[in-house]
Amino acid sequence: MTLLAVENLHVEVDGKPILNGLSLAVPAGQVHAVMGPNGSGKSTFANVLAGRPDYTVTAGSVAMDGEQLLDLAPEERARKGLFLAFQYPVEIPGVSNMEFLKAATDAQAKAAGQQAPSAVEFIGRARQAAADLRLSADFLKRGVNEGFSGGEKKRNEILQLLLLRPRLAILDETDSGLDIDALKVVAAGINAFRAAHNAVVLVTHYQRLLDHVVPDRIHVLAGGGIVRSGDKSLAHALEAKGYGWLDS
Amino acid sequence: MAGSTAEATALARRLSERGEDAARYAPWFDRGRCREALAGNGLPRFHAEAWRHTNPRPWYAAALGANGGGADVRVQAPPGVDVATFDEPRAADLFARHSGDILDPAEHPLAAVNGLLLGAGVVVHAPAGLQAATPVRIDGLGAAFQHVLVVAQPGAALTVLETPSAFAHRVVECVVAAGARLTHLRRQDASGGCECSLVAATVAEGGRYELAQLSKGAALRRNDLVARIDGPNAGAHIRAAWRLDDGHLDNQVRISHAEGGGTSRQTYRGVAGGRSRAVLNGAIHIAPGADGSDASLTAKNLLTSATAQVFAKPALEINASDVKCAHGATVGALDEEAVLYLRSRGIGESDARDLLVRAFLAEAIVDEEGARSLGLSG
Ligand SMILES: Nc1ncnc2c1ncn2[C@@H]1O[C@H](COP(=O)(O)OP(=O)(O)OP(=O)(O)O)[C@@H](O)[C@H]1O
Ligand SMILES: [Mg+2]
Repeated sequence: MTLLAVENLHVEVDGKPILNGLSLAVPAGQVHAVMGPNGSGKSTFANVLAGRPDYTVTAGSVAMDGEQLLDLAPEERARKGLFLAFQYPVEIPGVSNMEFLKAATDAQAKAAGQQAPSAVEFIGRARQAAADLRLSADFLKRGVNEGFSGGEKKRNEILQLLLLRPRLAILDETDSGLDIDALKVVAAGINAFRAAHNAVVLVTHYQRLLDHVVPDRIHVLAGGGIVRSGDKSLAHALEAKGYGWLDS
Repeated sequence: MAGSTAEATALARRLSERGEDAARYAPWFDRGRCREALAGNGLPRFHAEAWRHTNPRPWYAAALGANGGGADVRVQAPPGVDVATFDEPRAADLFARHSGDILDPAEHPLAAVNGLLLGAGVVVHAPAGLQAATPVRIDGLGAAFQHVLVVAQPGAALTVLETPSAFAHRVVECVVAAGARLTHLRRQDASGGCECSLVAATVAEGGRYELAQLSKGAALRRNDLVARIDGPNAGAHIRAAWRLDDGHLDNQVRISHAEGGGTSRQTYRGVAGGRSRAVLNGAIHIAPGADGSDASLTAKNLLTSATAQVFAKPALEINASDVKCAHGATVGALDEEAVLYLRSRGIGESDARDLLVRAFLAEAIVDEEGARSLGLSG
């Protein structure tokens, strides 16, 4: 079953076309990697899926579980199970990480008609997830991403992934800026998340992550669309030859 | 004398006639001084320096219609704190012994009007060395025009919480003696009415006055505050936050360092939305010879609508040497990237904005207990 179906997506920023006819289908239970040169539009794609308002979709469609996403507000998409790990997570001083995580969990539970976890139960879950990601419990008390190092911010994104348990996770360069040990920890988090009913889109520049989180498909985004798709061996070819090789 | 409006003229007449009938409540209270002050200076006038952004006219109308004395006094105090309403005989004595010179009606027309229309009053007295176990709560004083005197004797530690009910026109004098500590929490909820208050604090050597105030909008809300540092190592920290969805709030604050070696801090966080209007005049005055004073003021404002207005003006008057004085005021908007981040996790847009606004206000009200009492945190 196709969890994410993107068809002929055209996107502009300030009148400048960035995506022109991107199509992509991700079935449930799979991990797809999206690679591509700097500035090719990977983050634009990820942000359009999440509902960032600065982008204008001029054509195409995006469906999750068969339901059209593009007319929904960002929070509605999240409540339907879409999650974006940001390339540059935002710092929110004054709002504690724990308060933020609980508010998000409660909002999603409410939208699903489920009972929110009790504070005690939730704190236990959050501590466990932090420990799994080798983040000390102090990070739960600090302001959201406030003063976190680059790698800590990325781990905090995966912490949210583990607590919110979305249907579709789009991870925008979550591996960038991670040290070797942190990369393994984050990869283990993503692998723990993988399940038959959900799917992951991994935006990455590096083969390294794909050694740990083995993708079902790899797509190359260039010139505003997917120019090549293949299995995991495509990443090795790109690593060896660069993107120029695709033009030849 | 007063401004030219019919309300002002009528109020001035009523105030000058107040004599015998006013003396029914707390006859010992010195109304002569108030009458003289008003005869000399008149009522506040719109566009005068301290009333540049606030037209007092609706307040005159409210004052004219205000009721007299009432019996509905709701004050709770922990053991050891003496509470006397102005109609109890010992209140006159406590007042005479402790009320100081900071509330000169000639300087504060609000105090003069308040004195002439006085209908309720209370003295809260913490004896030397008392460590009050729980806050004194002032939930209601009955009449419209109210006077509160809080005295923290040497070494005493006391918290006073003012909740918003019947908070019409209130003067609060705080006397913090040597080495005493007074924490003053004030909550002003949204109101369609017209409310003026004047807080005046004096802090003696080694004493500390801490104000944490959270205000919502009213049709007209005016908060005047004067605090005086009266000795070395005396400190005053004014923390005020406001969140206006509508209405008008005018804060006029003046901290004066009368003696050297003291510290004052003013921390303001204001959020103005809807068609609201917020005013902050924060002044720091360092008297001649008050050397080694340390004063600062920071004011951050958020505008959450295109139709709200903020007027923030810090003012410094420094007449001493070796003084540390810092101030800054900013006006900005909510961080839309943060709003999007929260929404992308399923938090609705208005909840996201509310979370960010409360975090912003909490930068001023940092004390957890204070934040809880003021309804800023769960
Ligand atoms: N808000 C914006 N305003 C103007 N240009 C933008 C905006 N957002 C993206 N762009 C432009 O769109 C193009 C695609 O940017 P995007 O961030 O999607 O690239 P990317 O593939 O994620 O790159 P990287 O690998 O460096 O992260 C770039 O040329 C970028 O400058
Ligand atoms: Mg990018």
